[in-house]
Amino acid sequence: MKRRKLLALTLAGCLVFPAAVSAEAEAVDITLWTYPVGNWVDAATVEGLIAGFHEAHPDIHVTVEYLDYTNGDDQVNTAIEGGQAPDIIFEGPERLVTNWGAKGLMADLSDLWTDEAKEAIYDSVEAACQNSDGVFYEYPLCMTAHTMAVNRDLFEAADALQYLDEETRTWTTENFVKAVQAVYDSGHETVGAVYCSGQGGDQGTRALVNNLYGGAFTNAEHTEYTLNSEENIRALELLAGMDGISFDASIAGGDEINLFCNGTLAMAFCWNVGQDAANAENTEFDILPMAFPSENGDPALCGGIWGFGVFDNGDETKIAAAKTFIDFMANDEAQAPESVKASTYWPVKDLGTNIYEDNDLMTEYSVFVPRMGDYYQVVPGWAEARTAWWNMLQQIGSGTDVKTAVEEFTATANAAAVQ
Amino acid sequence: MKSNHPMSRALARRETIAGYAFLLPSLIFFLGFVIYPMALCIVTSFFDSTMKRADIFVGLGNYRELFQDRNFLYALKNTAVIVAVSVPFVCIFSLWVSSVIYNMREPFCSIFRCIFYLPVVTGSVAVTVVWKWMFNNYYGIFNYAGKRLGLLEKNINWLGDERFALGCIILILLTTSVGQPIVLYISALNNVDQSLVEAAEVDGATKFQCFWKIKWSQIMPTTLYILVITTINSFQCFALIQLLTSGGPNHSTDTIMYYIYHNAFKLYRYGYGNAMGVVLAVIIAVLSAVQFKMARSD
Repeated sequence: MKRRKLLALTLAGCLVFPAAVSAEAEAVDITLWTYPVGNWVDAATVEGLIAGFHEAHPDIHVTVEYLDYTNGDDQVNTAIEGGQAPDIIFEGPERLVTNWGAKGLMADLSDLWTDEAKEAIYDSVEAACQNSDGVFYEYPLCMTAHTMAVNRDLFEAADALQYLDEETRTWTTENFVKAVQAVYDSGHETVGAVYCSGQGGDQGTRALVNNLYGGAFTNAEHTEYTLNSEENIRALELLAGMDGISFDASIAGGDEINLFCNGTLAMAFCWNVGQDAANAENTEFDILPMAFPSENGDPALCGGIWGFGVFDNGDETKIAAAKTFIDFMANDEAQAPESVKASTYWPVKDLGTNIYEDNDLMTEYSVFVPRMGDYYQVVPGWAEARTAWWNMLQQIGSGTDVKTAVEEFTATANAAAVQ
Repeated sequence: MKSNHPMSRALARRETIAGYAFLLPSLIFFLGFVIYPMALCIVTSFFDSTMKRADIFVGLGNYRELFQDRNFLYALKNTAVIVAVSVPFVCIFSLWVSSVIYNMREPFCSIFRCIFYLPVVTGSVAVTVVWKWMFNNYYGIFNYAGKRLGLLEKNINWLGDERFALGCIILILLTTSVGQPIVLYISALNNVDQSLVEAAEVDGATKFQCFWKIKWSQIMPTTLYILVITTINSFQCFALIQLLTSGGPNHSTDTIMYYIYHNAFKLYRYGYGNAMGVVLAVIIAVLSAVQFKMARSD
């Protein structure tokens, strides 16, 4: 009897054990590294999102690491060099497509870009997520349009509000010049700063320069830098000669925001809804977000697109699991709105509902989203061009002739683009 | 005697093996984390090496490009200025301070030692943030004090103006560099043979003669160490630049170390960055050798 029992137990064990082993073998562990896009830096928020995924896909386990913009690139590059790159990374096309994608480090996500997805996602976003050969290295989740902001109280006191349209949040170049002069004449000498100590927040200074007279940073095909156009040179000459606007090589975008929020500067060129949400409570004045001034009052804003990319670590199982995760986060009917909301930005497609219905701030900023212009950050040689950009602004600030500095920038950037 | 011989040999062999065994972990780490990266750095400097692409052999191409690169030459010049100013200043200032305080009564000597050593133990990021605030263009204390005292008419953009930025960097570097030499000099001066000093004083030597003829020669090894260490630290000035100016404005604060970082980790040109690293190492090695030789001849 005893022997029979033992035999039965052994047989049962033999049947159960391989099943357990096989279940364990099927489980996949993947890693997600996320840059601080809205609340995608907040562990509680992200863990909440991932809990939903784990519930729907118990066979895939996702662990998260949080990066910052100061050291994040170095961390990722070090990981790549050490063969320890994450499976999924959450950031924008300038890193995923132009940088790591162009270096052949990313997996092709074309199978996520179904006809249905292509139809739903905005065209400018779709164009930004692929390289010039049409290979998709990013699947987008959210977007925003970067703006500038003015200190409404100071503008009101200087009688400068008359130069801007508070309803559409737009202004012409001519009125921008008048407004800056009015604030300067009212005794506030530091109206705005073209910050250029580094690349932090450089989209703001580029958007300012490009919009003033309708210049473009690159050609439409994103193959060549076109800063040396007449429009851009005119814009830089205008800024260099304005009272109240300084080219400041001691501050970057983050410093400019601080100086704006503490009332030192009357306007910030590095602004978006995230800055407003983070700083509004600590400022002692009304913040008025504005589009960048343009000749005809119809600006093309610099945008931000964020989404997921998958590093090609040579493990097809992990790549497939990573794609499952992305599909769930960006396309699942119940999950996608939550994923977008966590970014504090807007969806890249019509989700069929206003996800910020009860949020006044998001409603206020949603007016800027349709004004998003060309996403040129996918141009080759981007890393070199970014460095050359703030170096060029420093040169202009030090008194170098604008045309000379711009030509030098264009030559440097285009040399990098063809390499 | 003869009977003990094999025993001693076995013991000696055992001790030798044990010695090497104890040495092995450090040796492995040293080979793996110092020698191997150094060798790799030299090898890669002959390649056009970038991320995840087959390296292309370019021979001395990176080195040729280096000496035609205007920004590298700027960085080399700035680094030379930093070294030329900071090394003599640190040595002279720390020797002067330690000469004054080394024979003070306790607790004064300890208090001064702590004060001068404080910037060394404070995190470089914290120190830099405070300096950044003091140099601030809009509300920094230097501009505020300068205007209050009537020294400045309007604010100076200390870190944003190429005429002042490198000077500001050197000033910060000096404050963080003098702590350790002061402590070392105090210790060295305390170890000077007092009987020689007393004998010289009895013979009528002045204080300066006592210092120059007796103390200076006895603290020479410490001076040599401080010279070499300060030279290396000045050549490797990086964190201050990274945190304060990113090499600007107009490359006026670019140093070789920062330019290496910029090329390797911002532009992903590892081969080119490594070529700069090799040049920097050669310069430091040559300077250190010269310093050793001069000290020996003294």
